[in-house]
Amino acid sequence: MVQTVLEPGTAENAASFRETYLAAYRFMLLARLLDDKFAALWRSGRIHGGVFLGRGQEALSAAIGVGLKKGDVFAPLIRDAAGRLAFGETVLDAARTYLGSARGPMRGRDGNVHRGKPQEGYLPMISHLGAMISVVNGILFARRFKKISDTVGVASVGDGATSTGAFHEALNQAAVEKLPLVLVVANNHYAYSTPTSRQFACHDLADKAAGYGVEADSVDGTDLNACLKTVGQAIARARAGHGPQMVVAELLRLCGHGEHDPADYVDPKLKSSPLGRDCLKVAEEFLLRQKWLDAAQLGALREEMVREIETAIAQVQREPAPDPFVEEWRALATRHLGETHEENGN
Amino acid sequence: MKKTGTEISYLDAIREAQAHALRDDPRVFIYGQDVGAFGGAHKATKNLAKEFPGRVLDSPISEDAIMGLAVGAAIEGMRPIVEMQFADFSTVGFNQIVNQAATLFWRTSVPCPLTVRLPFGGTSGSGPFHSQCMETVYAHYPGLIVLTPATVEDAYSMLLEAVAIDDPVIFCEHKFLYYHLKAEKLPSEALPVGKARIAREGRDMTIVTYSAMVHEALEAAKELAPEGWEVEVVDLRSVKPIDTDTVMASVARTGRLLCVGEAWPWGGVTAEIIARVTSEGYGLLDAPPQRLNAKDTPVPYHPNLWMAHRPTHHAIAAAARNLLRQ
Amino acid sequence: MPAIPIIMPQLGESIAEANIIGFLVKPGDTVEAGQDLIEVETNKANMTVTSPCGGRIEKITAQLNESYPVGATLGRIETTNEEVARLGLEVSAPTKPGDTDRVAKGNGRWSRVQPTVRGLPVPANAAGASFLSPRLKARMTELGLSAADLAGVAGSGAAGRVTVEDFEKFIAHLEKQRMSQASTMRVAVADAMRRSWTRPIAHVGMPVCLDPLFAYRKVARPKPGPALCALRALAVALAENSAPAGRLVGSKIVHPSSIDIAFAVEAEEGVLVPVLRNADKRPLKDLIAPYNELVELARERKLPPDATGGSIATVTNFGTFGLEWATPIPLPEQTLVLGMGAARHAPNWDSVKGQFVPIMEANLTLSFDHRVLDGGAAGRLLQHVADLMSEPEKL
Repeated sequence: MVQTVLEPGTAENAASFRETYLAAYRFMLLARLLDDKFAALWRSGRIHGGVFLGRGQEALSAAIGVGLKKGDVFAPLIRDAAGRLAFGETVLDAARTYLGSARGPMRGRDGNVHRGKPQEGYLPMISHLGAMISVVNGILFARRFKKISDTVGVASVGDGATSTGAFHEALNQAAVEKLPLVLVVANNHYAYSTPTSRQFACHDLADKAAGYGVEADSVDGTDLNACLKTVGQAIARARAGHGPQMVVAELLRLCGHGEHDPADYVDPKLKSSPLGRDCLKVAEEFLLRQKWLDAAQLGALREEMVREIETAIAQVQREPAPDPFVEEWRALATRHLGETHEENGN
Repeated sequence: MKKTGTEISYLDAIREAQAHALRDDPRVFIYGQDVGAFGGAHKATKNLAKEFPGRVLDSPISEDAIMGLAVGAAIEGMRPIVEMQFADFSTVGFNQIVNQAATLFWRTSVPCPLTVRLPFGGTSGSGPFHSQCMETVYAHYPGLIVLTPATVEDAYSMLLEAVAIDDPVIFCEHKFLYYHLKAEKLPSEALPVGKARIAREGRDMTIVTYSAMVHEALEAAKELAPEGWEVEVVDLRSVKPIDTDTVMASVARTGRLLCVGEAWPWGGVTAEIIARVTSEGYGLLDAPPQRLNAKDTPVPYHPNLWMAHRPTHHAIAAAARNLLRQ
Repeated sequence: MPAIPIIMPQLGESIAEANIIGFLVKPGDTVEAGQDLIEVETNKANMTVTSPCGGRIEKITAQLNESYPVGATLGRIETTNEEVARLGLEVSAPTKPGDTDRVAKGNGRWSRVQPTVRGLPVPANAAGASFLSPRLKARMTELGLSAADLAGVAGSGAAGRVTVEDFEKFIAHLEKQRMSQASTMRVAVADAMRRSWTRPIAHVGMPVCLDPLFAYRKVARPKPGPALCALRALAVALAENSAPAGRLVGSKIVHPSSIDIAFAVEAEEGVLVPVLRNADKRPLKDLIAPYNELVELARERKLPPDATGGSIATVTNFGTFGLEWATPIPLPEQTLVLGMGAARHAPNWDSVKGQFVPIMEANLTLSFDHRVLDGGAAGRLLQHVADLMSEPEKL
């Protein structure tokens, strides 16, 4: 059993655990408040296209973000607002992509959750589920060529993605190549409206790992404590060269698939079960119990974050939108090999 | 490994180009099914795994993951060469090619310098799933470069250039030409990617074509010469981008256009050429432009059917005569 | 009763044909499925052709000692439908491609998909003798030529069309000839005549006695010329019935709104046609001055823009060139040209005196668009003009 930094036992470990927990909690709160803001903007018609929130999944997501180091690779899923922030994304960039600012990382060419900075290891997803896992594999594979060790890649997916061919091929590939991949599966029991009974037949998603020759852990996704420990351990094992790791977290989405979706299909029994706990509340209660923060501090933190978000949104709303007449309509890096079609304006 | 004094086949040229790339650029690696010790199903990577240990790697049968891995490696600055065992199988990795590789630069400004080698085109007895021409579907997507070398020299120099290009390149190597086409030596200089080649100068009509059909067109031109017709043959070399200028200049000289392709009739390279010439060079045409493609069915297995399915030099000559008589 | 052909089978991998060496049955015999019928010899061995089904030999068409290729019909067997069904044999004669389509539709009803949008009529043949390719048209435009200029160029293309090669040869040939520049007026007249000639033009003529006109001229002041008299006569005639000067557009005859008649004046390098407006509303003596003025202006090439155009007929006095008759062509926008030939001494039968008497005579011609006017109406108009000219003091 690999010793992790999260094992309390030594005073040093306890202090670092507290720091990690607080850091993770901050990202969870920021993500929740940012998501709320995006939802409000969508409802008031100020966001064009879809809005996809991560409400209910922040603990798992934050655990990934704080578990990774700068220089690692992260391919987030659509509900990883917390993880993205923890991995280094700014509120400004998230807002820019949602509000269509020309200054955002995707410059209006892609939107909402389809954002990232590939050369910083933060991969912008394509919409096809499961497709990003092999891309993470490729980066890890290339780093091995370049003799870069001590690197880990996390691919974050939902229960639905585990049914895709891409998931299967990529996990198998990672195992064959013994890559330091950590596959985190947020099993929120619904892929859009499809319950897991229609998604897979094995008893526990973690059982799939054995078929690939990969280690897997299960974790209560509503418990930040457990998430930090399990995800942290998986990352450590991968970094130490044990090959791909899989973590399956059980939780519930506390929002629709997108903000357009009222999600009436979710079983009310699940909602009222422990699975339906709000991980943010659970974390806050833990913080208060540990006396790491008091209610006033929590309140102040919340206010500060709301201000930060409002400032960012206000700034982004003043930024220019992409201009189709200034835009370079070119899909190739090699300029001289692009074709001009003047009739289509390029 | 250099063959001096003996003939070099189209396949040898492809192998040589890969060896050259592996030798000169540590960022290059080859990834695909059976490419390692086995040397590839077509022997395109024969001995390369031995000469460059750890750079020529066998993949599982997972075209989607193969392509995704290549994209990731390209993001990280490597220059992967992916060998698809047959072009026909690339459809399993289609999503990663057209949605991941082809959109990366446009969405993020990060280039994707990978090369996908597609052994394509028909050989007798190969049947519907080992004979397809895939250049049309890939050329349609923005963000991809599609190359179709027709000569041993181009197979060599264009593959080298493909690896050097910072964009995803779909390199369509024709299986029939692997062993059938031979040259005396490898070229030291070449037309750049993006320029078409006048394979045969002519006066009375222009045939625009690519890959194996270039040779069928040249045979047809030989058949027509004693009848008093001088047929110009343009080898496109790349179908994305298309060297429209060379095509237009040729039609300006001859006034008559026949496009020939081994792919299916709907859309495709022949339709694209005619669309361009008709809209940009309408006044150059002295007769309606024509095209010849394979029959609109999957590629048949039986040699009788296969030989009738694709354009042959006889069919090309007949179509040419029709056009010349108009 | 259906009949099945007896076919030369594939007797071996590389066997292409076989020689008939014996018949084991004859027409009328009843046979069983698989029974030996015909003995054949291949380059490898002697074999037999067996019966495809049970039935009765209808006929043997193969000849002894002749070679037949694999797949050739050697005879026919009459058999039952059940036998045919049992063996899954093809009975019907080979169908034409269209038939197969119909059969393949199953329920027999085979209807074409009706287009939902009806657009422009598509020409049945976009090629053919009159096809001018885009390239040819582009070259013609470049050189300022029209289809009329191609008349006489031999076409080597399909259906005798002129290809761009034919055209370039023609131009190269022309450039070897001596050429001079045609004036703008020449080119304009050429264009007008070409456009006019797209109509069917016909001509009628009659001699008219000029004695009354000459007598009138002796005493009239100022003196009207013969052409002006003819013009005024035409104006009066058309004022009474303007239909002959109407234009045919599609199926409608457009009547003239005013009787504006032009007359031809020869100027350098061409002909000008100034117009006398409302020539029906002014008597002959009031037309003389404006007429002379227009003639002067025309000769000096100083006609104002409103002096030409918009006329419904032209009068031309080709007699001034000594011509007795001519067939002028109306302007593209006109239907009629009235022409007058040279005056001459001519004998005229005087039925009162019972002898020929000398008169001054000239031919009066009417050229007309035969779509608007027929010979009878043209003749009547001309006669009316001649009658009016015989009483010039009333014009």
